[in-house]
Amino acid sequence: MGANFEVASTAGRRNGAVTSNEESFEALFSAEYGRVTGIANRVLADPYEAEDVAQEVFVDFNRLHSATAPYAAAWLYRAAAHKALNRVRGRRRREKRELSQAADESSHTMDPQQMLEVNEDRRSVRQALARLAPKPATVLVLRASGLSYAEVAQALGVGIGQIGTLLRRAEAALRKEVIHGASN
Amino acid sequence: MAHLTDGTLRRKFDEPDSLTESENRHYSACAECQSRYATLADDARVVAGALAVPAINVDVASALSRVRSAPAQPRFGIRLPIYRPTSRPVMGMLAAATVVFALVVTAVAQGVFFQPQTVQVVPVSVADLQSLSGLGDFGTFAWTTKPTPQLVASATEAATVSGLHVPAATVPSTVTANTSYAAMPAAVGKFTFDAAKAQAAAAKAGKTLPKMPAGMDGSTLTVTVGPAVIEIYGNLGAGAGTDASQLTLPQLVVGASSAPVVTSSGVSTQEFENYMLSLPGVSPKLAAAIRAVKDPSTTLPIPIPIEYATPTNVTVQDVTGVAVGDNTGLGAGVIWIKGGTVYGVAGTLKQDAILEIANGLK
Repeated sequence: MGANFEVASTAGRRNGAVTSNEESFEALFSAEYGRVTGIANRVLADPYEAEDVAQEVFVDFNRLHSATAPYAAAWLYRAAAHKALNRVRGRRRREKRELSQAADESSHTMDPQQMLEVNEDRRSVRQALARLAPKPATVLVLRASGLSYAEVAQALGVGIGQIGTLLRRAEAALRKEVIHGASN
Repeated sequence: MAHLTDGTLRRKFDEPDSLTESENRHYSACAECQSRYATLADDARVVAGALAVPAINVDVASALSRVRSAPAQPRFGIRLPIYRPTSRPVMGMLAAATVVFALVVTAVAQGVFFQPQTVQVVPVSVADLQSLSGLGDFGTFAWTTKPTPQLVASATEAATVSGLHVPAATVPSTVTANTSYAAMPAAVGKFTFDAAKAQAAAAKAGKTLPKMPAGMDGSTLTVTVGPAVIEIYGNLGAGAGTDASQLTLPQLVVGASSAPVVTSSGVSTQEFENYMLSLPGVSPKLAAAIRAVKDPSTTLPIPIPIEYATPTNVTVQDVTGVAVGDNTGLGAGVIWIKGGTVYGVAGTLKQDAILEIANGLK
């Protein structure tokens, strides 16, 4: 029976299953690459490294799952957040680039007073984010990346009713963590 | 009406129309809810500002072509060390442990399921392990359903892949919050005994094997392992995290697996047990320890190298388990079976901490 199955799948591959899989993957990639990169960039504040992470996420996904899986987008979003957070935890070599970018954009995207209250240094915000537990860190990153409550809930595997509570706790925790980190 | 929850108030910040009519009425009249809203809205604004980044433009076509040209990787998200060719000592230990396992589990009657309900230590010495031949010397092993361990993104996905409930652990604050999950559907392997191969391997090692009982040559053991889930606390490498060569030792591992099931064919229980226990590598002490297992059909033997670890019987989750405290003080673990599932908790923690985590699993 195992042998028959093997023969059947081989025949399937020869008859165009590969093409179909490749097409599905390409469609998924085209639809989600921008958003996945955006999520990684939200954590890393580094477009080049964010693209690196996004591509790794797609390679991993393609190796393990079907592009037509109903959970594909949710998996990609969550994996991008996790992988990017892991990079922040493991590395500290983006300091200079982040600092220059923060100075460049804070004038038109952030209220200077609010920014002062958290921390002027984007690096310390990212490191504070990476010190949070995975779930609160991920909920913050996904929501800040523009995912709806329903999409965040799906990516985290929780009910949509929990997202408000998770967000509230995560925001309070991040603010505390940033202040705590700054005082050390 | 009761005050609005933090979650409800937080959602109002993002979606002002999300409140029901009665929630709106309460909010308009409640100074406390309004004050809490002001605080959380301030947090939300500050965090949004702190996490703001410039929009990036991506070249999807170039990125796709880079992904397409990524070097081929194994199908599994993780290559477990035991599958790596460089892990021969581990493989040898595994083979030896499998022999000990087979010695016990095949003591069940022909064709009867082995379905362990409890665990028992079988003390082995390093000399025992070294002198035992690998299972491969006695025949051939082949997977009919290969094990497909994979790293997954969440407990939910681990549950989907394995079909098992993923045990939720309460861990001390000293344990990292960085968790990973691995899951594996059930795998089935078949071992076929080969008398000629066994004799040849023994002759090469300068040993003489007792003659295999009639019917054993060509008989099979069918072993079903898993499905299984593992929750890993600790970094699995700073990079992609999918290459076993990057793995660092995790701080804590919590695992659950359906109890293994073994069926045997073609040889009687007594003949088989006698044969296995008469092999040159099996010391009288080890043979006695194996014979001491009270009910082999319902007991999962845990081979413990006594020079390195001290096993103790413990009560965990109201059943008997085996705890191992590493004598070097570097780690501890506990294993038990409840409801047809084998659970294990191990890590670089004190045995008390490991037992507390084990008892708190939900």
